[in-house]
Amino acid sequence: MSILDNVAGNLAASTPGSSTELRRATWRGRLQMAVLIVVYVVMFLAFTIPFFWMFFGSIREEAEIFANLYPFTWKTILPIKWSLKNYLDIFGISDDGQKFGLQFQRFLGNSFLVSAGVVLSSLFFNTLAAYFFARLRFPLKNVLLVFVIATMLVPFQATIVPLYIVVDALGMANSYNGLIFPWYASPFVIFALMQFMRDIPTDLDEAAVMDGANLFHILWRVIVPLSIPGIITMALLEFQFIWNLFYWPLILISSPQLQMIQVAIATQTTQTQTFWGRTFAGSVTASLPVIVLFLFLQRYYVQGIALTGLKG
Amino acid sequence: MLATPISTPAKGWGRIWSRRNRYYLIAFLFVLPALINFTVFRYLPILAALRASMYQYSLLGGFGDFVGLDQYHAILSDSFFRNSLWVTLKFTIYKVPLQVLFSLILALFLARENLGTAFVRSAVFTPVVTSVIVVSVLWSMMYHSQLGLINSLLSIVGVPPQAFLSNPDRALPALTAMMIWKDVGFSMIILMAGLKGIPVVYREAAVVDGAKPWEVLWHITLPLLRRVMMFVMVTQTIFSFQVFVPVYAMTRGGPLERTKAVVYYIYQYGFLFQDMGTASAMSIVTLIILLVVSVGQMRLFRSDVSY
Repeated sequence: MSILDNVAGNLAASTPGSSTELRRATWRGRLQMAVLIVVYVVMFLAFTIPFFWMFFGSIREEAEIFANLYPFTWKTILPIKWSLKNYLDIFGISDDGQKFGLQFQRFLGNSFLVSAGVVLSSLFFNTLAAYFFARLRFPLKNVLLVFVIATMLVPFQATIVPLYIVVDALGMANSYNGLIFPWYASPFVIFALMQFMRDIPTDLDEAAVMDGANLFHILWRVIVPLSIPGIITMALLEFQFIWNLFYWPLILISSPQLQMIQVAIATQTTQTQTFWGRTFAGSVTASLPVIVLFLFLQRYYVQGIALTGLKG
Repeated sequence: MLATPISTPAKGWGRIWSRRNRYYLIAFLFVLPALINFTVFRYLPILAALRASMYQYSLLGGFGDFVGLDQYHAILSDSFFRNSLWVTLKFTIYKVPLQVLFSLILALFLARENLGTAFVRSAVFTPVVTSVIVVSVLWSMMYHSQLGLINSLLSIVGVPPQAFLSNPDRALPALTAMMIWKDVGFSMIILMAGLKGIPVVYREAAVVDGAKPWEVLWHITLPLLRRVMMFVMVTQTIFSFQVFVPVYAMTRGGPLERTKAVVYYIYQYGFLFQDMGTASAMSIVTLIILLVVSVGQMRLFRSDVSY
């Protein structure tokens, strides 16, 4: 009850210098504060312990992961003997890694290549389309917009078999092209950037027209510089979407040389038996780029999700 | 320099190349690449699936005999297909309400801006940016009946080691719990944006009028959040209905078909059994179900009050 009061109080009066500030001075307020801190710590641990287990599990000897499970102590999570062997294994540097033919640098490279291809091409084409819908005159433009928005209703995972049939018919199965082409335009990105560009005052591009600048110049010189925050946000969401893609590369790619890293961690470390240390190391490698990007550019992420409310 | 066609009165190319039409043509070039993408990779697959669903069709053998609606007939009377729809529905029903509830609690606790909440918010959001496959692989190790972290944690309170993923009654709840853990931060962000969008004056006015904090929460904040909560429900229902990766990575549909969600069943038919015709028919049926659900939920959405 007191916690609920406190939380509701936080929301009821979130302006500084209000009743919560006063209440904090009393012993009852201090007790509530202590309870709140405990709640925060529990929430923090509930979401981070699996990641700590994974990360520290990747830099300790595999036998250690199992040896210290019972009873639960700090040794269950934190390494006693540190070791980089798991990473040497998955990158094929150690003898064990070579014996298994592991080469995560290859999968990592594929993922970076495909992600760069998708992010760059989709930024270019989605910006063009968003500019069209936000600023240009065209007969029946609204019909075209409905055509674009309606694709949001096509459920992605449920229609992946049909997508495969088309991509296969285009001769793009088992190729980088097949991984990149379907994603060079996105209705969500077009919609979000369109909202963003609509808020830019029109007199700016009208001034540019009087200068005799053509449409592409206006977009490049006036609209794009003013849309940079929106474009960064969309680039982040696109990167996360394509980097984390699993189902599509799983079915599209049949030769291991072309495979992306998310599929590799599911298939390469668990073929005959599961190597926990290697799986942890592979998972850390596959997650690090997105988690680091997120921690540095968190503000854009949160804005982007609040803006579109949707994935990808 | 040259006599431009514009000067000749409306004839042939001159008419088509009028200034206005040239503007429209250039404008259309801006949107053309996106339109091509959506035509080829979003709409065409549906048509291709409609066609494939009426033929015997496999990846290796190509198109076989025309069978009309036989495959639809077959899947609708296939008890495994109905089971997969039932599993998917259960997953969605377990997941969506609980996720909205938890994300609401988190949003209320973490809406206040300070260093502590910033840390916790980042923590809650980390599973959201991590891929589903990493989370699934990690949790299948955590759920391990002897070597898992969860059993180690349970041992603190004296609970003996449990089987999670190999127990038919626990596998689906275990998947659901994991996916709530992964996605709750996503809906939390949307709800927090919604909370910030509620004008402060409403709550302040209520406080001035002597309302208790929980009364403010119940009578003002929550009703005004209804639209955002509905939005989260709609989008999460659509996402949840398409669950695939956890099933693939953790249970392969077992034990006893208890976690065989419909998208996994489609994958099995298309890529493991090499029967693309039947897989296409199932995709079309799932697509129709999801369209009906989203249109229905959007109707509900629109009739809602706004502020």
